[in-house]
Amino acid sequence: MSRRVRRWTILLAVAGLTAGCTDSSSPGTSPPPATQLTVFAASSLSKAFDQIGQDFQTLNPGIRVTFDYGSSTELAAQIQSEGTADVFASASGTAMDTVQDDPGVSNRTNFATNRLLIITPPDNPAGIDSLQDLTKDGVQLVLAAEGVPVGDYAREVLKNAGILDQALANVVSNEEDDASVVGKITSGEADVAIVYTSDIAVAGDTVRSVDIPDDVNVTATYPIAVVTGSPYPDQARAFASYVTTIEGQDVLEQFGFGPPGG
Amino acid sequence: MRARLPLLVIVLAALGAAFVILPVVALFVRAPWGQIGTTLSGVGASTALRLSLEVSLAATAISLLVGVPLAWVLARGAFRGRDVLRALVVLPIVLPPVVGGIGLLVALGRGGIVGRWLFEAFGLQLTFTTAGAVLATTFVSMPLVVLATESGLRGLDPRYERAAAAMGGSSWYAFRRVTLPMVAPQLAAGAVLTWARALGEFGATITFAGNLAGRTQTMPLAVYEARQVDPGGAILLSLILVVVSAGVLIAVGGRLIGLR
Repeated sequence: MSRRVRRWTILLAVAGLTAGCTDSSSPGTSPPPATQLTVFAASSLSKAFDQIGQDFQTLNPGIRVTFDYGSSTELAAQIQSEGTADVFASASGTAMDTVQDDPGVSNRTNFATNRLLIITPPDNPAGIDSLQDLTKDGVQLVLAAEGVPVGDYAREVLKNAGILDQALANVVSNEEDDASVVGKITSGEADVAIVYTSDIAVAGDTVRSVDIPDDVNVTATYPIAVVTGSPYPDQARAFASYVTTIEGQDVLEQFGFGPPGG
Repeated sequence: MRARLPLLVIVLAALGAAFVILPVVALFVRAPWGQIGTTLSGVGASTALRLSLEVSLAATAISLLVGVPLAWVLARGAFRGRDVLRALVVLPIVLPPVVGGIGLLVALGRGGIVGRWLFEAFGLQLTFTTAGAVLATTFVSMPLVVLATESGLRGLDPRYERAAAAMGGSSWYAFRRVTLPMVAPQLAAGAVLTWARALGEFGATITFAGNLAGRTQTMPLAVYEARQVDPGGAILLSLILVVVSAGVLIAVGGRLIGLR
């Protein structure tokens, strides 16, 4: 028995040491029944793109679409180092610019816009009713980390409102992407967060929202493009342009996104 | 004289070793050594490193405090469901850490089944605090000290303890003066592994405690955040973790698997 326990010890110790990190799931590895298209998309797009992907597959039975959602900045870095994406849909022009420089993109189009708003848990534990309330003592504010588009946009809003430093003093966590920020509010752990307008279309009753005045709010413009080097450029173009069709735009609107014009 | 190893074994072993070592070598090759000064002297790196040391040492201390008694119970206690208990206790080793983090969140978070009560009764909140980071880290790393210590205890002849007890010592006295010193090597190896694992903890910590410099942002979280804005810096920060962890493991050497 002691042998067995010891063997367990070694095995599990090794397993434990290597299981340190989790990462966003990579595309499935089952043999492709059809053309396997990989779309890297901002995490704020996840629900809308899941729907659009299904619709697209129904229309194009020969193409299977797999999505990898995350922070656009990080997805851009992954495209540069792995080059495994066929299509990139970014929450910021900056992240797309990175990919445009290396490895290059084609058919770049802005396909949606988003605005920012404040969310709190439904019971609003910290009594947040305006942007100014984010500076109140003891408020637990969650933002996405700097470099993550929604995190940068949120800091821009706070800067526009002239409360950047006071608000940052209340930050209790800098999350890895938009979805994680929303999660901290739906779970009730934090008092308030700044996220995309589209997030409440998904989160629904699990959060309560407070508007940000237009004069300090910012517009996030989402570009989509075919990544140079994709083995399926035609299918990739087909998906990218489907997103801008009336059908694609309807789904995006339904999930809280604005039209590309603003 | 050493036995000659079959060639196939040597080839496969070389492949296995190369596979594990390659990423580490790649980190050294790709590290932007030119910016090492600015990255390491930056407030972010030293803050994260200090917090990492504090959190991992605290997690190791807690793991020893409750993990050794747990190992004792598992090794010597005679009760039904012991194997089930052992499996549950070591489960965090094989669980994805993010699952542990979510579990902690619904258990001890501000809205969790126990955490809600802690918050309402005492105003105690663990999420977004250093204490929360310590808890998340302990959850993931404690099983290592439990397993190592239990393994040591089981390898020990219980007659030593019985002899000590027969001479009039309490079972606590026998454990402290006879058993504990005899399993000290395994216990120490377990503690080192626990600490090394704690130093590398990421998933449970970011999920449960969040990510804030100076409070919950340990080195692995700093590496992760740096990837967004400064990929080169992320490699340099990673190397610090590699060097510290490898240093400890090499220093402990064969004791890890009870060879010494």
